[in-house]
Amino acid sequence: MNDVFNITLIYATIRSATPILFAALCATVTQQADILNIGTEGIMLTSAFVAVLTSFTTGSWLLAIVLAIVSGIAIALIMAVANIKYNAHICAAGIAVNMFALAITKFGLKQFLGTAGTFTSPEIKEIPRIHIAALDNIPILNDIFNNWCVTEVFGIVMVVILWFLLFKTVWGLRVRCVGRLPMAAETAGISVRRMKYEVMIISGVLGGLAGAHLSLGYSQMFADNITNGRGFMGVAAMNFGGMNPIFVWLGTLIFGFIDSVGARLQAYGLPSQFILMLPYFFTITILVLAMWRKGRLSEKAKSAL
Amino acid sequence: MKKKLLALLLGCTMVFGLIGCGGSKGESEAPTEAPAETEADAETEAPADAETEAPSESGEKFKVALVYSGFLGDKSFNDLAHDGAVMAQEQLGIEFTELESGEAADWEANFVAMADAGYDLVIGVSTQFLEIMEKHCPNYPDTKFALIDGVSEAGDNVVSTLFAQNEGSFLAGAAAAMFTEKTEIEGVNDKAIIGWVGGMDIPVLHDFYAGYEQGAKYINPDIQILQSFAGTFTDALKGKELATAQIDQGADIIMNVANITGIGAMEAAAEQGVYAIGVDTNQDALYPGHILTSMQKNVDNCTFQIIEAAMNGEFEGGTATYMDLAHDGVGLTDFSVMKEALGDQFPQDIVDKIEELKEKIASGEIVVDSYEGYGKPAN
Repeated sequence: MNDVFNITLIYATIRSATPILFAALCATVTQQADILNIGTEGIMLTSAFVAVLTSFTTGSWLLAIVLAIVSGIAIALIMAVANIKYNAHICAAGIAVNMFALAITKFGLKQFLGTAGTFTSPEIKEIPRIHIAALDNIPILNDIFNNWCVTEVFGIVMVVILWFLLFKTVWGLRVRCVGRLPMAAETAGISVRRMKYEVMIISGVLGGLAGAHLSLGYSQMFADNITNGRGFMGVAAMNFGGMNPIFVWLGTLIFGFIDSVGARLQAYGLPSQFILMLPYFFTITILVLAMWRKGRLSEKAKSAL
Repeated sequence: MKKKLLALLLGCTMVFGLIGCGGSKGESEAPTEAPAETEADAETEAPADAETEAPSESGEKFKVALVYSGFLGDKSFNDLAHDGAVMAQEQLGIEFTELESGEAADWEANFVAMADAGYDLVIGVSTQFLEIMEKHCPNYPDTKFALIDGVSEAGDNVVSTLFAQNEGSFLAGAAAAMFTEKTEIEGVNDKAIIGWVGGMDIPVLHDFYAGYEQGAKYINPDIQILQSFAGTFTDALKGKELATAQIDQGADIIMNVANITGIGAMEAAAEQGVYAIGVDTNQDALYPGHILTSMQKNVDNCTFQIIEAAMNGEFEGGTATYMDLAHDGVGLTDFSVMKEALGDQFPQDIVDKIEELKEKIASGEIVVDSYEGYGKPAN
């Protein structure tokens, strides 16, 4: 069992949690304004492709992240315009965006990179890792803290920033107000549409980061449907965390932990089907718990009146 | 939402079906375009005569359809079948259509659409078509069918080919077991642990694993083999995660049998400075210096042979061809990329031992285990 629960598991957890974390934050910020962003998957997929394409052609990971964010915003705006301006149901817009992303990246892969299925190349510049030379000789700290990817650190920073924005600023109060009771917000002189556009743009930024991290940080490649449901897992983590970035982060850590432990347990002869079931099993359990908690809270709130 | 999704899915299937039919018609209507192309290509090649003859004999080209349980671009099984069909197009002057889908729900619809569309030969590429063919082939007695990588007993209009992946994997396992002992090579640790990452947990993959395990234990009976299944052939990141976990647990060489998922596994090996073994096609140059060798299934030759036989009237329905080491249906690559990367450090003894084992297997001196339902067919 020492090979399963050892010190490298800590970093492994962070590593597999980060892609879901960005996706979860992307869904969190819109959910605060009462927009269920299931287009997270599509935003991620498109920006993952743009990141690889830019990194491969220009050799700059920074530019790749910037363009990934721009493409993330573009996709998010498609949904925003459809939903806010033309009143399309957000779920329909989300599904449309997800399918569009699948097709456009497949097409882009063929058109711009001349291949199908997967694209790998040594010329893809990856997001650098932070190597702290001083830690090299300290066994435990080295395993935990050394060689983190820049975006993995940034993901945690982002949790704090988003929490601060949502819960400690006037802007955050307005967003939450729009989410809870748009009519009241409108009466108080807040432009609901404007707020909704703003959160969609921010979710585009976060989704763009999610995609760039997936294809340039977590791995250095693009494959058809590389996201493989990670956007949806992000939405699940958002629900678990009750739209609070800190709890959302905890949720993604649980997912990451289960994933990493599962990957290690398989090598010890547990049936693969059982292990592969675990993430979904926990997703459902976690959602049930989250709903139960929510129900109790609202009962309490009612009885307080 | 479920209903919406279902409706969308059905819509897609219909559209795919239509594209399939439309494509085939389009091609048969414009036979002048395609031959011009192949003629130009073949001007310098010898078999130019044969190919201009064949279409003129019947006045119409031999039409082949390939149905995939996945997408082209896997740099593996599907791409090889595609290469075989292209080879047949160039040398035999056939025309072919391909239908790809990653959704299990589409495979049957795609297959039936092709059988309906009046193709001379419909090839189900991968073992996933076994049941679909058994269900539908008897309904189209005038169409020829072929299954690659499985034995179908659907009737006398179906031929099957089976690869001895267990024999090829035996060699891969033996190579891995020898390689993990070469501690002088950078990245190889002193633990006798090797890894294996598979795609979906399906019988044919267990046949791979049976050979891999036997080969590794033939070299070192005490070796530890870490086995993982990703549950998908299309999630590269999942493959990377599984391979990284195995590396954390001490594996220094990992074989992948996982299509696109496997590319992630090989990336993990390259990134962590350890080694991997490719599968199905020559993947040695994907991460040069980190892929020891690849266990090849010569699907391209196999596809070509099926088409050639069907075209020349040598189609023997109801039979199965066993592509094993003796028939050059499987085998390892020549290690050349690794030799170049390691230079003097390259352990030549591995190559020599592999040659020796290969002869022993071909001559029947070593009998490689196979998973239930695989192995040499009785007929």
